[in-house]
Amino acid sequence: MGITVGMSAHSAPAGFWRRLFLSPNGVVGLMIVLGLIFCAIFAEILAPHNPAKMGTGGRFLPPSGDFPLGTDEFGRDMLSRILYGSRITLLIGAVAVGISMTVGMLVGMLAAFHRGWLEMILMRSTDVLFSFTETLIALSFVAVLGPSLQNAVIAVGVAGIPFYARTCYSAALVETSKPYFEASISAGAGPGRLLFFHLMPNVLPTMIVVATLGVSTAILAAAGLSFLGLGAQPPTSEWGYMLAGSRDYINRAPWLMTIPGLAIAITVLGFNLLGDGLRTSLDPVERK
Amino acid sequence: MWRFLGTRLAMGFLTIWVTTVLVTLLIHAVPGDPVQIMYAQSQGTTPEQIEQVRRSLGLDQPIPIQYLMYMERLFQGDLGVTIRGGQPVLEVIVQRLPNTLMLAVTAMFIAVLIGVPMGFLAAYREGTLVDIGLMFLSIAGISMPHFWLGLMLLFFFALELGWLPVSGNGGLNLILPALTLGLSNAAIFARLTRSSMIDVMSQDFVQTAFAKGLPKALVLRRHVMRAGLLPVVTMMGLQFAFMMGGAIVVENIFSWNGVGRMAVEAIFQRDYPIIQGFILTFSLVVVIVAIVIDALYAVLDPRIRRA
Amino acid sequence: MSTPLLSVRGLSIALGADARPASLVQDVSFDVSSGQILSIVGESGSGKSMTAKAIMGLLPPKASASGTAMFRGQNLLAKNATQPRGTGIGLIFQEPMTALTPVLTIGSQLTEAMVFHGLANTSAAHRRAAEMLDRVGIPNPAQRMRQYPHELSGGMRQRVMIAMMMLLEPDILIADEPTTALDVTVQAQILDLLREIVFDTKIGLILITHDMGVVAEMASDVIVMKAGKLVEAGSVQQIFHAPNAEYTRALLDAVPSIETAHPASPSTESTVILSARNLHKTFRGQRGLGLVGPKTKALDDVSLDIRHGETLALVGESGSGKSTLGRVFLRLTEADQGSVELENIDLLALTGSQLRLTRRKIQMIFQDPYASLDPRQSVGAAIAEPIIIQGSVTKSDRRETVDALLTRVGLTPEMATRFPHEFSGGQRQRIAIARAIAAAPDLIIADEPTSALDVSIQAQILDLLADLKQEKRLTMLFISHDLAVVRQVADRVAVMRQGRILELGPVDDVWSAPRHPYTKALIEAAPVPDPLRKRGLRTPLSGRFATGKLTEAAPGHWVAL
Repeated sequence: MGITVGMSAHSAPAGFWRRLFLSPNGVVGLMIVLGLIFCAIFAEILAPHNPAKMGTGGRFLPPSGDFPLGTDEFGRDMLSRILYGSRITLLIGAVAVGISMTVGMLVGMLAAFHRGWLEMILMRSTDVLFSFTETLIALSFVAVLGPSLQNAVIAVGVAGIPFYARTCYSAALVETSKPYFEASISAGAGPGRLLFFHLMPNVLPTMIVVATLGVSTAILAAAGLSFLGLGAQPPTSEWGYMLAGSRDYINRAPWLMTIPGLAIAITVLGFNLLGDGLRTSLDPVERK
Repeated sequence: MWRFLGTRLAMGFLTIWVTTVLVTLLIHAVPGDPVQIMYAQSQGTTPEQIEQVRRSLGLDQPIPIQYLMYMERLFQGDLGVTIRGGQPVLEVIVQRLPNTLMLAVTAMFIAVLIGVPMGFLAAYREGTLVDIGLMFLSIAGISMPHFWLGLMLLFFFALELGWLPVSGNGGLNLILPALTLGLSNAAIFARLTRSSMIDVMSQDFVQTAFAKGLPKALVLRRHVMRAGLLPVVTMMGLQFAFMMGGAIVVENIFSWNGVGRMAVEAIFQRDYPIIQGFILTFSLVVVIVAIVIDALYAVLDPRIRRA
Repeated sequence: MSTPLLSVRGLSIALGADARPASLVQDVSFDVSSGQILSIVGESGSGKSMTAKAIMGLLPPKASASGTAMFRGQNLLAKNATQPRGTGIGLIFQEPMTALTPVLTIGSQLTEAMVFHGLANTSAAHRRAAEMLDRVGIPNPAQRMRQYPHELSGGMRQRVMIAMMMLLEPDILIADEPTTALDVTVQAQILDLLREIVFDTKIGLILITHDMGVVAEMASDVIVMKAGKLVEAGSVQQIFHAPNAEYTRALLDAVPSIETAHPASPSTESTVILSARNLHKTFRGQRGLGLVGPKTKALDDVSLDIRHGETLALVGESGSGKSTLGRVFLRLTEADQGSVELENIDLLALTGSQLRLTRRKIQMIFQDPYASLDPRQSVGAAIAEPIIIQGSVTKSDRRETVDALLTRVGLTPEMATRFPHEFSGGQRQRIAIARAIAAAPDLIIADEPTSALDVSIQAQILDLLADLKQEKRLTMLFISHDLAVVRQVADRVAVMRQGRILELGPVDDVWSAPRHPYTKALIEAAPVPDPLRKRGLRTPLSGRFATGKLTEAAPGHWVAL
């Protein structure tokens, strides 16, 4: 099945990059996310100490020159923990959204494409799962498989599937009812070509926006699970877990609570802003 | 309209039924022997007792039979007994559920009462500093983890300022957890209300209203608001479900004695009967609220009321 | 004539407050007097709607107007002018389906402005509203006042709009494309209503439209706009019979008339290429949110033959089933019953890869040029798609074929690497045509291919289709609601209503001597672009029409009676 005629087959919407950079939200978001990625990749170089090593400094040291973000109850350097935590956070976001989006998109596209009994079954199941709410699904998963960061990530990933499936389904319905889709059917296109060559590229922009915003939801959900003790286990430098640990020492060492929370908030803010920017820049694809 | 409600009701029943199936299957998804795991932490249970539990739960039977046994007990109001103290699960849940509901409903009030007017104001002054400021606030609100917000509120108002109690139940204790849950969701309502209003304002019928010579305030009040609030009502059902989920965490922070806290403890203790009961209750509450809100929507939207 | 009600001089509208504002309208001047119907005519982008908005004070925030518009002694365009909206000048616009607030009753929408402007108290307003509804031809006014907009049809909603504006007793009414979204018979009624109102109340009517037939019917005076400039102004007779400006002449040339005989075409063979028998299709209405609405019978025992080399037109109003029939042939919609044979192949029975291979024999040109091309696919790839799928041509030959096709439809080969959004509506339709003929189909179905295009572009596309038809001996099924276009384009025509074919025959026969009362009503309702042929008031269309079996009333001319 040849895809091109020696001519490039697909394009980004006109002026996409220009509009993205014009949107202040998008720019700020992009910078935050890029900063985060940088920290995650270069954590080893940036971190002054070993995040897991207890007694690096005295316990409960407030932020100072040696330890810019202070130390925790085990004397571990907070800055290093935060930096390594960024790596985990990004991984969580990527894996969870990866699961949700892949399965969700498949379900959504198939349902919109098939328009028949398969559509009914898929969408009704999605609706039912959707009413369980992501929290419950994630919780149930962890309840069954036991608390661990891995399980928490998979739980969040699976819990997100109904949402992505539904969103993809609506977007796909819009595309499949457009004349160009029917024109391809008339030309004799088979399901493979229709799904992957016509439907997916047109649904992808919307899904990317949703995914970017979804990364923030996933990070928050996983952090929440870790906070409850159902996710990351010691001595992982996961931010939600760090927040949980700070509870007992709120009075004594308030920075233990402020800093990881701030880290989560900024990360999530970054993805939200980026997603917002992407959404506005993808909107006016065409002008009549 | 009745068709609409009928479909919703049917879906609700379907969801609950599926929940019961999933709940029965839950035990089997556990790697290893569930009964062993359940009783691993309680000392002094003899192998015979474990066998007894196994038989009473019907775990030695084929799955369909188990399901029927579970449903039979369910209709009699028997949700099993907790592993820890042997209390009837139903009793434990019924004790705590009202607390969670109180928390969720109060939080919902707060979220709507703060969020919707904020969104409305932002839409009315679209493009101005007010709008930008409010929207930045709301995006910050959405990004903040609610458990962090909870901790911060706890720190400032309870510990530092001593204005409110740290933990406990009822009365003044409701304020902090409800605020935590409500504020994070207020941001979502604000954004949604704003985009819904802006959307409505660009519609043709608003032009018609202006063409008749009506002033902006009147047009907003009579035409825009009513049409724009409809999607917000729909959202309320969804948001309630989120709040129930959020309550789980918030209850833990503030030691609020609701079903959320119960569920988390149960997970740690591998107390499966409670977990099953919790999942069922949670689903039931969410479904009922969703149907109530759908009914409200059907009454409010003349296109459905007089289909 | 006494002093005009509205006197506009040098109206200009610019967009954007920065250094180089874009000019939307430049230096437009006209007068409107009591009892006069002035028509502002132009294609899309001419600025005609903007002009109306400027007068009403409804311009979007970034736009600003300059010049004078004297109304009741003051300049409406001045900074602190009192707005004339409602009680001075009323406005009706195009989309009746979205122009009324869905959550308020008809009654409250009719009365609120009267009460606000102090014209009446609530009970008096209610009474007047009911009277006005009666005046505009809505039966059961009291009941209707309690209903919501979604319970009324498009034509009725437009009447409500007219009533709503007239209740405020304005001096001038502006109607911006008031009937474009309506069926031709409903359009006729609304236009009649407007004419009556002008006659009775002596208001001035500004009728904005792109339809020259409507202009000829209604207007006493016309101004022609193009790209924001006033091209020509004059009485309707002068504009139509002695136009000065070249643009006006070109515009008039491009407009097809229902009274112009069909251009002679080579006699078509009488062999049948497609044969449809006893087709039935019923739809269950979708009302969204999982609701199921009432059943509609889209095709009711339809049988039809299409002959080699001919262009057969399917004509009808909305809901007639004409589009459904085309889609059934394409297997985009499945018929409930019946058969379709294409060159001895049983079309409806095909499945799987057989179906896919046979699909190339019938191709479609769609109505909406903006949605009929995949925005993510280059134009060349789109045109080549049928060829690629059929796998009949080698890669290198493909490029040549695509280039040849592009040239044939009036574009250039280097456009093959560009993307749809870089092209205008007319160009996209050409691309769609190129795609349709790429795999040399036996039959082309064109579903309202020019309805979304400006009249001048429409003329070009129809010419292109006529050329191609000649050159490649194309067989075409042309679906349209526009009777004049059909007469120009088609050899034979089938008139459909509510899923049945009511009349079928050579287009000149049917149009000049219609036999079925519905066909007669349609032709009577269609406006003719010639002011000398103004219609009198038409008899209102009653619901019932004979729908029997088709019988041959004259050679090749079938009627259902």
